[in-house]
Amino acid sequence: MAITTPIDQAPATKERTAAAAGWAAVRDFARRRTLGAIGAAVVLVMLVVGVFAGVLAPYDPLAVDFGAMLTKPGAAHWLGTDAFGRDVLSRLIYGSRTALLVGFGAAVIGATLGAVLGVGSAYFGGRVDLYLQRLMDIFLSFPLIILALALVAILGNSIPNVIMAITIPMIPRAALVIRSSALTIREMPYVDAARAAGFGHARIILRHMLPNVVAPYLIMLTAFLSQAILAESSLSFLGLGVQEPTAAWGLMLRGAAVDFAEAAPWMALFPGFAISLAVFAFNLFGDSLRDALDPKLRTL
Amino acid sequence: MRHRRGWILSALVAMVFGLTTTGPVPAAAQEKPRSGGTLDFVVPSEPPSYDAHAEETFGVIHPIAPHYSLLVRVDPFDKTGTKPVGDLAESWTISKDGLVYTFKLRQGVKFHDGSEMTSKDVKASYDKIIFPPAGVKSLRKESYRSVEVVEAPDPYTVRFRLKYPESSLLLNLASPWNWIYKADLLAKDMHWYETHVMGTGPFIFVEHVKGSHWVGKKNPNYWDKGKPYLDGFRATFMSSSAAQVAAIRGERAQIQFRGFSPPERDQLVSALGNKITVQESPWDCLNFVSMHHEKKPFDDKRVRRALSLALDRYEASQKLSKITIVKDVSGIQVPGTPYATPPAELEKLAGYGRDINANRAEAKRLLREAGVPDGFSFTFKNRGIPHPYEPIAIWLVDQWRQIGLNVKIETIEASAYHPMLKRGDFEVAMDFQCGFIVEPDLDLVRFVTMSDANYGRHKDKVIDELYQKQARAVDVEDRKKLVRALEKRLLDEEAHVIWTLQWHRIIPHSARVKGWTITPSHYLNNQLDTVWLTE
Amino acid sequence: MWKYLLKRFLLMFPTLVGVAVVTFLLIRVIPGDVVELRLAGDRGAASQAAIDAERVRFGLDQPVWKQFATWIAGVARLDFGTSMWTGSPIWDEIKLRFALSLQVAIMATLVAVTLAVPLGLLAALRQDTWIDYAVRIFSIAGLACPSFWLGILMILTFLIVFKWLPPMVYTPFWVNPWQNLQQLIWPALAVGYRYSAVATRMTRSAMLEVLREDYVRTARAKGLVQRLILVRHALKNAMLPVLTVIALEFAFLIGGLVVTEQVFNLNGIGLLFVQAVAHRDYTLIQALVMLVAGIFIFVNFAMDVMYAWLDPRIRYR
Repeated sequence: MAITTPIDQAPATKERTAAAAGWAAVRDFARRRTLGAIGAAVVLVMLVVGVFAGVLAPYDPLAVDFGAMLTKPGAAHWLGTDAFGRDVLSRLIYGSRTALLVGFGAAVIGATLGAVLGVGSAYFGGRVDLYLQRLMDIFLSFPLIILALALVAILGNSIPNVIMAITIPMIPRAALVIRSSALTIREMPYVDAARAAGFGHARIILRHMLPNVVAPYLIMLTAFLSQAILAESSLSFLGLGVQEPTAAWGLMLRGAAVDFAEAAPWMALFPGFAISLAVFAFNLFGDSLRDALDPKLRTL
Repeated sequence: MRHRRGWILSALVAMVFGLTTTGPVPAAAQEKPRSGGTLDFVVPSEPPSYDAHAEETFGVIHPIAPHYSLLVRVDPFDKTGTKPVGDLAESWTISKDGLVYTFKLRQGVKFHDGSEMTSKDVKASYDKIIFPPAGVKSLRKESYRSVEVVEAPDPYTVRFRLKYPESSLLLNLASPWNWIYKADLLAKDMHWYETHVMGTGPFIFVEHVKGSHWVGKKNPNYWDKGKPYLDGFRATFMSSSAAQVAAIRGERAQIQFRGFSPPERDQLVSALGNKITVQESPWDCLNFVSMHHEKKPFDDKRVRRALSLALDRYEASQKLSKITIVKDVSGIQVPGTPYATPPAELEKLAGYGRDINANRAEAKRLLREAGVPDGFSFTFKNRGIPHPYEPIAIWLVDQWRQIGLNVKIETIEASAYHPMLKRGDFEVAMDFQCGFIVEPDLDLVRFVTMSDANYGRHKDKVIDELYQKQARAVDVEDRKKLVRALEKRLLDEEAHVIWTLQWHRIIPHSARVKGWTITPSHYLNNQLDTVWLTE
Repeated sequence: MWKYLLKRFLLMFPTLVGVAVVTFLLIRVIPGDVVELRLAGDRGAASQAAIDAERVRFGLDQPVWKQFATWIAGVARLDFGTSMWTGSPIWDEIKLRFALSLQVAIMATLVAVTLAVPLGLLAALRQDTWIDYAVRIFSIAGLACPSFWLGILMILTFLIVFKWLPPMVYTPFWVNPWQNLQQLIWPALAVGYRYSAVATRMTRSAMLEVLREDYVRTARAKGLVQRLILVRHALKNAMLPVLTVIALEFAFLIGGLVVTEQVFNLNGIGLLFVQAVAHRDYTLIQALVMLVAGIFIFVNFAMDVMYAWLDPRIRYR
């Protein structure tokens, strides 16, 4: 008789349960935090649109068509055309790719590097803290636009350079906020106790500090995501971001869009709406995610 | 016969096309000027210093020119901006051999501090411009190389002696930058005028608040009795053009002397209706494409010609003029001015023909011959300025796509642009040609081989010779022929550069402003002595 | 505590020097040259001889370290030199613009704090109710609109709907307060609304954290009145990250409102910065960065004082 022991069965059951638990968590999230779920859904749609832009866009976003300059939204062009006869919808779709690239790139790199520096600074304290703080202070003193101006003037206008220009000012901001959160943990008695007990740095950081900075980190991240998209549009508005003829939301808001704001409002309305929607979605999602992941709440 | 009708028609079209004004013609005869009122205008940029001899930006001219007089100036009622009339000079004679220019000065003209203006002031000012002492900047002295000496034989006579005859000298002397300063002040300190204002002009300096505004008030002792009509003026510095439009729309300012884009004009017209007068003119500014003659394949003139043939200039003129500040299809002189080539002749140049399909077929053939493969890719460097650089670049890339070229635009920040051109760090790049007075000598000097501004590094003795000849030509018709030959060589035979479209100057201003006539240059006609306001 | 504060005070100076060095080097790496730009002007071309002569006048032909030494010696005397573009003393260039930017920053911060703290508190106390949702949507809406777009919309609304335009020329507050406020209230509102968004969410988040703390639960268990708990225990600790955010943003407002200033035609530090960079006016750029950095570093120091006062737990060597 082959009796299957619970141990043999255990792995299979564990997997199934994990998957089921995962789905349950998602459904639960959607039900309990509707706003956040909506935000997440919008972000997902944007991601899909950005990835499959080539398939979804009805026209080539760079195709100039002088015969169709400034046409109203209609059958041929659902969202109208811009001053060069380029289809607004197609440019919007390709623009989401640029926005997500710049947004995610800058935000993730900025927030993560900042968090690493902030936690390290808080945990090690002393001289490490001192020097890192000074370094962060120095870069914090440069307003985002000025640093971007300088970087773009030196490096040029490509997308990686724009991402770098937006990321660099974000790192110290993230570091500062994460550090202040991490500091409150640092002073807690259980950290000293853990050190006394001989636990290594890494373990203490990972087990005690990180879980408590996750919440501000996620908030920073979603704030940065939207800030990066907004920063890109501001930089493009000033002529320092992505350049023509690339399709990018911020770029679509510049120049002709402002000139024609009354005569052809669709040129600026839709990219502006797209930016606002993206920012909204990221923030709603981030908020709800934070609420869901709050370690203290989990015990309730 | 058909040819002749075509010529007349073309001439008419050129006149209408080039120099349209909507609204009442501001001729002195039509309405009687009214005295009084303050002119409020906006200026997009602020003057770095107050000395026009040492500056090169319109931010100096717009607020400060009303305080000064010139020896001769451009007729403020002439739309082409090419007719010299006397300002401080009452009359002048030119010797038969063209080497001596003698000016009779007006008497009793006073500086704003009460002292009288005499020939020594004119001489001192021109000595500063043409023969600046060490440590003193004079940005335009190169264009006065023909002048040997400036003399002041008696208090009301000034004489210029030339080394060789030069037909452009009179117009060159009417340069808006040649303000007449006071000799005594220059003798004490050559740099005094960089930070102070003291002239003989129609307005007296009141105040300059940095970053904010400039105020001038009427000069009661101006030599032209009865003028200026205005009690004063106020120039507000506003860098954002949206803010400038809002200011005019909100009736806080009456005019901006540089120019607005077509949609901005349309906005103002639809918002203010007949409270707005629009004056338009071709602008003495143009974007052209510069190709590096030492980089393959642009060292081959077939490739350069092909790039010009690919452009449908006439379609662009129609379409781009709706969205940005370009309009006329032009040659090397502003349409409507004395040396401009008539449109019918222009059509004979490469890229100016009406049959675009034939042109593009020819372009493709030339590229094949030159060994340029289909889908060939190169980078086009553009200057980071929205009007009209961006739209023209987008148009160019699209046109070149139609002959099988795959062009990438790289935008360089505006202030880093000229270092890039000077270094020769480009294959194909956008350049611009802007003048303050329409004169072949001034507009064409940069295409001479040894010119500092010859960024494409072309070497062409024929152009050098033609330039010299036309500068020395005394007969107007001879000169026209030489200028045309230069144009043909530059744009057609060698296609050293590719002309795009002439900029188009659009000034929508309050209908209350009278007595100001638009010219192709935004440096001209800014003394404001002829300007008046209705009720 | 005093030793700690003294240390923080002294640390301001190396930071300032660090900023000075980075700026000095950074702007000299950017291609383009003030002399050339000035001589070329609108024409875009100038003779090399003239350029070289002028560069000597500005000392730009000296080696970089020497230029730095000369400049920093001046700074130590509080002499920031003259603008390379206009030749006027730096303070003349800056003073009016600084007054304007400072005023807008203060007004915007007031707007932001007035909105953020009560709304954040409310949202935290009533978490997951419709009040919470409404506050979150309201504050996020402030973030979502690109700042320049909001400005353009505002101006267009004034013109089209109200047929009125706010004053476009700056009058200092002490000259004509009414006209001054008429001009500056609108950008202050636009900017303040945007900055309240981040502060609101930080307040809400920080309050939520603190409300779960053990000592709050203990206080509640002890039966103290809810309000007292809030004010004395929770608020004090919640304010730390919130203060960080508000202070950071205030310092940022001084030089960072470039786009807003363009749209509302405010002649402020942000616009001056952009012009200075476009002109490659090294002395002005350096002075402006020192100004903005100085403000930021000082605000940081003020925050440290606050930290020390509000949370005695935070002491570091």
